[in-house]
Amino acid sequence: MRQQTSLLSICVLLVGVVAGAQTHAEDSSASRSLASQSKVWPFLQSHCVDCHGDDASKGELSLPGLGDLSRGGDVQQWSLILDKLQSGEMPPEDESQPSEKHRSEAIDWIESQLRIQVGRDAEHARPITARRLTNVEYQNTMRDLLGIDLKLTEKLPNDPVKPYQFNNTAELMRLGPEQINRYLECARSAMASAIVDPQQPEVYKTRREWQPYGREKQLGLDEIGVWGNRRHSPAWGMGLKGFPKTGEFRIRVQASAIFPPGVDELPLRLIMGYGINVNSATQRVQPVGTVRLRNSPDNPRVIEFRGRIENFPPQPGKIKNGERGPDSMAITPQNLYDDGTLNDGRRDLAMPRAVINWMEFEAPVIEKWPPLHHTQILFDSSLRDEDPAEYVRQVIERFVSRAFRRPATPEEVARFVQIYDLVLPELGSLEAAMRETLSFSLVSPQFLYHTDAAPAVALNRSDENTGKNGYELASKLSYFLWASMPDQQLMDLAAQGTLHDPSVIEQQVRRLLADPRSHDFVENFTTQWLSLNKQKTVPINSELFPRFLYYVSAGERRGTEVPYRPTIRDYMHDETVGFVAELIRRNASVLNLVDSDFVFVNQPLAVHYGIAGIQGDQLRPVPVQASDQLGGLLTHGSILIGNGTGSAPHPIYRAVWLREAILGDEVAPPPADVPALSDSAGESAESALTIGDLLRQHRQKESCNDCHAQLDPWGLPFEQYNAIGQYQPLVPQEGVRVSGFQKDTHRDLAGYQDYLRSISTVEVAARARLPHGPEVDGIRQLKNYLLEHRKQDIAENLIRRLLSYAIGRELSWRDRFAVEALVTHSNKHGNKLQDMIVLICQSETFRGSKD
Amino acid sequence: MTTKSWHLNRRDLLQGGGLGLALPLLNGMCHAERSAGAELPKRLFVSYFAYGAYMPGGKTGVPGGNQPHHDWSWWPCNEPGPLSFNQSAAPFEPLVDSVSYLRGLDHKGGWKMGGHSSGDVFATGADMTEHEKTNNISIDQVAANRHGHQTRYPSLVLGTEGGTGSYGSSKTLSHRGPGRAIPSLHKPQEIFNRLFKPYAGKGVQQVRAGLKREASILDLMLDNSHSFQRQLGRGDQVKVSEYLESIRELEKRVERTSQWTHAQLPDIDTKGLNIEVSHKEPQEYIRCMYDLIYLAFQTDSTRYATLMLESEQSQGSELWNYATYVLGYKGATHDIAHKRPEDYSGKWDRWRAEQHAYFLKRLHETPEGDGNLLDRTLVLWGSAHPHASHSTKNYPLQLAGGNRLGFRHGQLHAFEGDKKVPLANLFVSMLNAIDVPVERFADSTGNLNQLMG
Repeated sequence: MRQQTSLLSICVLLVGVVAGAQTHAEDSSASRSLASQSKVWPFLQSHCVDCHGDDASKGELSLPGLGDLSRGGDVQQWSLILDKLQSGEMPPEDESQPSEKHRSEAIDWIESQLRIQVGRDAEHARPITARRLTNVEYQNTMRDLLGIDLKLTEKLPNDPVKPYQFNNTAELMRLGPEQINRYLECARSAMASAIVDPQQPEVYKTRREWQPYGREKQLGLDEIGVWGNRRHSPAWGMGLKGFPKTGEFRIRVQASAIFPPGVDELPLRLIMGYGINVNSATQRVQPVGTVRLRNSPDNPRVIEFRGRIENFPPQPGKIKNGERGPDSMAITPQNLYDDGTLNDGRRDLAMPRAVINWMEFEAPVIEKWPPLHHTQILFDSSLRDEDPAEYVRQVIERFVSRAFRRPATPEEVARFVQIYDLVLPELGSLEAAMRETLSFSLVSPQFLYHTDAAPAVALNRSDENTGKNGYELASKLSYFLWASMPDQQLMDLAAQGTLHDPSVIEQQVRRLLADPRSHDFVENFTTQWLSLNKQKTVPINSELFPRFLYYVSAGERRGTEVPYRPTIRDYMHDETVGFVAELIRRNASVLNLVDSDFVFVNQPLAVHYGIAGIQGDQLRPVPVQASDQLGGLLTHGSILIGNGTGSAPHPIYRAVWLREAILGDEVAPPPADVPALSDSAGESAESALTIGDLLRQHRQKESCNDCHAQLDPWGLPFEQYNAIGQYQPLVPQEGVRVSGFQKDTHRDLAGYQDYLRSISTVEVAARARLPHGPEVDGIRQLKNYLLEHRKQDIAENLIRRLLSYAIGRELSWRDRFAVEALVTHSNKHGNKLQDMIVLICQSETFRGSKD
Repeated sequence: MTTKSWHLNRRDLLQGGGLGLALPLLNGMCHAERSAGAELPKRLFVSYFAYGAYMPGGKTGVPGGNQPHHDWSWWPCNEPGPLSFNQSAAPFEPLVDSVSYLRGLDHKGGWKMGGHSSGDVFATGADMTEHEKTNNISIDQVAANRHGHQTRYPSLVLGTEGGTGSYGSSKTLSHRGPGRAIPSLHKPQEIFNRLFKPYAGKGVQQVRAGLKREASILDLMLDNSHSFQRQLGRGDQVKVSEYLESIRELEKRVERTSQWTHAQLPDIDTKGLNIEVSHKEPQEYIRCMYDLIYLAFQTDSTRYATLMLESEQSQGSELWNYATYVLGYKGATHDIAHKRPEDYSGKWDRWRAEQHAYFLKRLHETPEGDGNLLDRTLVLWGSAHPHASHSTKNYPLQLAGGNRLGFRHGQLHAFEGDKKVPLANLFVSMLNAIDVPVERFADSTGNLNQLMG
């Protein structure tokens, strides 16, 4: 209802004030003609005005003051009213209901009027689409444009985030001088990497070997245990003797693993940056890569890693006698084996150990000089000597045409040639002058903005004939499905003018989705759609859940999370993103969001959820039974933790999540000045037990009841899952005090589990009667209800989310009928995810032009 | 060092409003070597904490009933008049002559914003639910527009999460104007480098040449952008104008930066400054941010700063866990606001107070002219919620410093009559005290000059 509130205030403004682009259809003369003069008024008067009248205006909706829809007044409000009537949400269940005939007459009238308004509006309303690239899009575009993967987002101001909303909209993707300043810094540093100097640079090398000394007693000196890190073992890292500022590096490692019985895979990860063999959680490191070792020490394997040195943080040199020493950098291999028992005490020799014989570092890698990313810009040509001016022009034209995602115009090229000529005398060399010139092309609006503009000259003849811009569509497709610029194939199709053909779109969408670059689409989309990020900072109560996170067991940092390694929360994030990616890959039905016959897990997650027989850190689809109490998004740890308190589940958060993310409702935030739900989801499991009672109390206040009656029932079935997302149908009896883990009383963790079981004797209260629905008891029944009765809403919600993300703006009443058509079509074809995406990309709303 | 080549920045002069400004500008010219007779700088700093503060028995921000004052209330005492200090406010006791508490003030524009959103307007007073939906200019920027040219940086905008955030969950206190939030900086290393090592190791000549080049290029970029803009639809043209404005702003900055290359960079005493600190160590981190502001003021690198100490809706960042790191509280920092556990609420406020007092003390201990830095720095510290975070009225507010700018301290002031006094009235007085002659700010109805002696 966020939207609703803002629109109401616009109504107030309408008297004499320019109301902005959103409402230009509603001219002031129309809004002065009121709803009470419209045909549908008798219906509203008898069924709605009691609550939504002048005095009582629940939900901040006052019908008598509403503009007349047939004259274009308050269209968005009318669109919401139509939603409420169609879904049956209004009038509320406990009020007298209109006859079906009256209801459908009212619905028909509003709908037909809306349709007229949408048609009228389409003639002169063009939604704002110009918006800057998001940071992720920016980084990916630079990667694909330059052919080197540089981590640039760290240097940019953080993008705004709004719960359950996508940030790639014109409203949020704003630009100020600071942002452009940063873009220029990024562009310059990227160009410094992309264009190299003619002479080959110095190559830096470091090599280190480790011997198996001491293996008979404990971990050998060439080994890395799960916990263990003997001084001077590989776990201590390899300091680099020197490294360049830019360039590609190569790391080679000879490695193997010693496995205990029953284990046959060990994830070995390399990180690089600061040394981490200090008692500090604030060292800066970046992962280089992960391999899975399956070979024994008799059969060592040489593994090669590559990357860009620019992406790793060098540790600033220490100051000695007033002078700063050289920066340093270390490579640290890590044993990431995790079977869920990391907090159970050190048993290094019973766990798999990685063996590292030697490690080599080399940078920059010179296989060809100058490297490909250089010659892609400063291409080999005799022109360079024969006609330097023409060479420069061609270099610029080629680069800028790729950067702008369409052919550059002669004027644009000329302007950058001017810049080149301006900077050449001072900078001296072609390389230096070109770096500076092209850096500026990367801060020009043609590069930084998504727009539907393209100068006529950039269009080919078939575009001119049809008015369809192929380049624009190429960018729309690639930014939607790759969060990056179009590749050559898309550009070629755009140049041929065939891209608007529905069958070509379909073929391209499936191709883009099959490409690994689509990961960023799924990642971005899913994270924002499901508001996933909040789970990472929920403070987990380590007394109640002593095994969930991996804690430092001794020393000054005892009890804090072990740093510098992926945590189970990271895996949970990947689980949710990977699950959605898998559904798209399989072209599976949207209903899988609610329930599926597989989950997407690795070993730590499998242990957490209680699935046996999964090894390794790689996430993969694993079949589950209904009795596993898993499947669909509702039971993902990321969702349940993110919508809990870290000590207890939180039915309100979970209800809001379900309604926003899955059913597509807009849930109003709690209003100002309401009393907080008193000490509800509590400090201990003890107080969490009475959440049902607390909510009942809360609902007794009328101001709270209106919202909570619609909310609480959706959250209560989730009570079967605890604060860390595990199925927990039995809980301690009300009033029983739950003790946290105490070493003296419970001895070990198994003892604590026994204790918890011994006091957990009551079935958790997870029963609720859904608004306008049946009573459900627990998640299973909630899911069944959703699958049977809310199919349409679930599909429509996903279509709306995908469309909104794809076109980079929030949908409004103007899109109502376009969405309706998509929903109908998708429904006919089984609501399969990949097909949905194809359908969206073929739609007029997405392409921005009519057939 | 020759400072002969100093010249007035034409654009700043025009922007500032012309002749009336000639005098302070001339003062600014000789800033680098501040002579004994020259007027000392007047500074302004706004600092924000989220989720309100503990006010037992006075959940709306004004005391209720006749209970004795709570030892752990955020307010140091109950009765308006001379200050006495309870447990929460004790860190400010040594500074009693430099602090005042102001009860009953707030921004009307934030009343209806609800939830955690009213922090957006703490420094702006904008009416974001009605006619200023994209917020509006903040108090520091009003001052920076007027006098910002006198220092190397017109203002310093810091936060603990960085960026602008979105409407309703801002990560910055500063706004240049409607729709123009200024992204806050939150990485100490980066802030330090930008403040004190702006040339990144290059020589001054080299920097100057680079800037000259950049200025010419920006002109060409402006041409390029104009022709690009013409190809867009009307709505998009308006949208892209923010780009053009940004380029123009950058041109100004280039001009300004190149002027400042004639002034020597300050020598910084970095002793005890750990700029590699992270959110995992809240106290070190927050103090480092305060230290950076202190250094910026002390070196007169800027005179106006804001710091979003905590932003509302911080569930995406480590701030969410600050109370866990600091106090071992088993819950999100934000939960303290809702649950108000007796044992943690006060301690949490006290921890915040210690950090802020640390900053005030540093300013107070640094001599300047015949007083100290705090005497010429107005420091506003507070939140846009009182007790429970869903209320948007009667902010917890502390004003410190500015004794030599006319403010009298050591009092709790209560503005709790029938007629609501807008917080913006205080902003008017604060601006006037630092030589920004405004009569109105946001919804102000006058001033609060009664705080001045």
